[in-house]
Amino acid sequence: MADDKDVLRDVWFGRIPTCFTLNQDEVTEREAEAYYLLLPRVSYLTLVTDKVKKHFLKVMRAEDVEEMWFEYEGTPLKWHYPIGVLFDLHASNSVLPWSITVHFKNFPDQDLLHCPSSSVIEAHFMSSIKEADALKHKSQVVNDMQKKDHKQLWMGLQNDKFDQFWAMNRKLMEYPTEEGGFRYIPFRIYQAMSDRPFIQKLFRPVSPEGNAYTLGDLLKEMYPAAITNDAHL
Amino acid sequence: MTESGRNCRKTDVAVSYGTRRAVLCLMSGCALNEKEFFSCCQLLLQQSEHLRDGWSWEAVQGSEEGYLRKTVLRSVVADCCDAQKQKEAASVSPIFAHPIQELQQQERTQPVVATRFHSDGITGDGGDEDDAVCVLSEGSSHVLQYEYHILYSCSYSAPVLYFRAFTLEGRSLMLEDVWSSVHPNFRHCLQNSPLTAITQQEHPLLGQPFFMLHPCRTEEFMRPVLQEAQEQPRPVNYVLLWLSVVGPVVGLDVPLKYCTQLHPSSPSSSEPD
Repeated sequence: MADDKDVLRDVWFGRIPTCFTLNQDEVTEREAEAYYLLLPRVSYLTLVTDKVKKHFLKVMRAEDVEEMWFEYEGTPLKWHYPIGVLFDLHASNSVLPWSITVHFKNFPDQDLLHCPSSSVIEAHFMSSIKEADALKHKSQVVNDMQKKDHKQLWMGLQNDKFDQFWAMNRKLMEYPTEEGGFRYIPFRIYQAMSDRPFIQKLFRPVSPEGNAYTLGDLLKEMYPAAITNDAHL
Repeated sequence: MTESGRNCRKTDVAVSYGTRRAVLCLMSGCALNEKEFFSCCQLLLQQSEHLRDGWSWEAVQGSEEGYLRKTVLRSVVADCCDAQKQKEAASVSPIFAHPIQELQQQERTQPVVATRFHSDGITGDGGDEDDAVCVLSEGSSHVLQYEYHILYSCSYSAPVLYFRAFTLEGRSLMLEDVWSSVHPNFRHCLQNSPLTAITQQEHPLLGQPFFMLHPCRTEEFMRPVLQEAQEQPRPVNYVLLWLSVVGPVVGLDVPLKYCTQLHPSSPSSSEPD
């Protein structure tokens, strides 16, 4: 893991330049200017857009403001997916900055989860961490951590503190050397054009003979359509 | 007695009675693998058809993967917030204040109390920002459509209960309204125990918002009953057993006949209801 520190930092500090525009059907007292922001790939939309909300609220009346939600080219954006996943899923082929439309009315409750407070985001984040550890360590590591350790993970994400986050996360990323890896690899393959939001199945990191599997092996088994004859993995 | 960490003995029991062949669960540990889940569901389905309890199996693209589904109409009377809560509610942002239209007066089957609570159930000290207004207007009677899904979680090797609710006009219920259908006895436990909390989640197969009862404690409450059943030995349907525990918490009735049908000669009172 120590050798991968540069990779870990690059992943953590990944940013997507984004332009937020108010939906033109919203009722405003004067014209709303677009708002620009660098979004962290590893975070969540509703966690990092307080400034966006404040910006647009300046030109709106309180009675015209309900729960804020985001949309890209007609598709409501699921705040509970990491921002990087949303971008790669919907907009990876488009020109930067990423243009997101902001709404304050007509919340699409058949598509989006509600997000009334940051504690909902925290609960969702911790739930993902726990599920991942259920796969990696039968939940033993996450259950052995104290409540303050869980809090530190969350605060690290919320406040963009790489060292604070990884001080705790490294425990969740360790495995006994004799095992060769985690019990199962936590992964999800997200698909844009499907009712089924993602593919998630059990996958062991090591073959019965003890050889480490690669990402290519995982894709071959879980999503063979991703691999064409020409692709080299 | 076995220690809590030790696995249950592997028990393989098949029972044949009448013209129906019932396949019961292989227990490897106190967890459930996907094949076992499928078998248990098929058995539950057979019994449901016999009892006309309304469960159906929704398959995923012709594979063995899928989930059990049931829709229930429920009449509730909302007895909303006292004066103090209403005062606090007035200072809360109007985000959740959609009024639900009053419906025709229906026969009261299940009086229900809607209470204020922390919307996430995880941090008990969420503060005022988590308080939400309940949407069912006081004293009014509503017919709601509840839809229950039982899916399999490979991460937790357990079944998971997902559900959602609509008014007959098609308006989805908010989490606050859902709490009002949870029996008061359970409400206190659930609110204080984050790992069995009801939260809004994305349905893993449909991609739509549902409410979910968190599965990570399932093995814990199933273990004592499963161990006892294997020591007797007594055949057990894991999914049915699990459902009889979690279902009533969210208003889903599991008729006792499921159990008495399985043991026609020995009336079993050990299935929790």
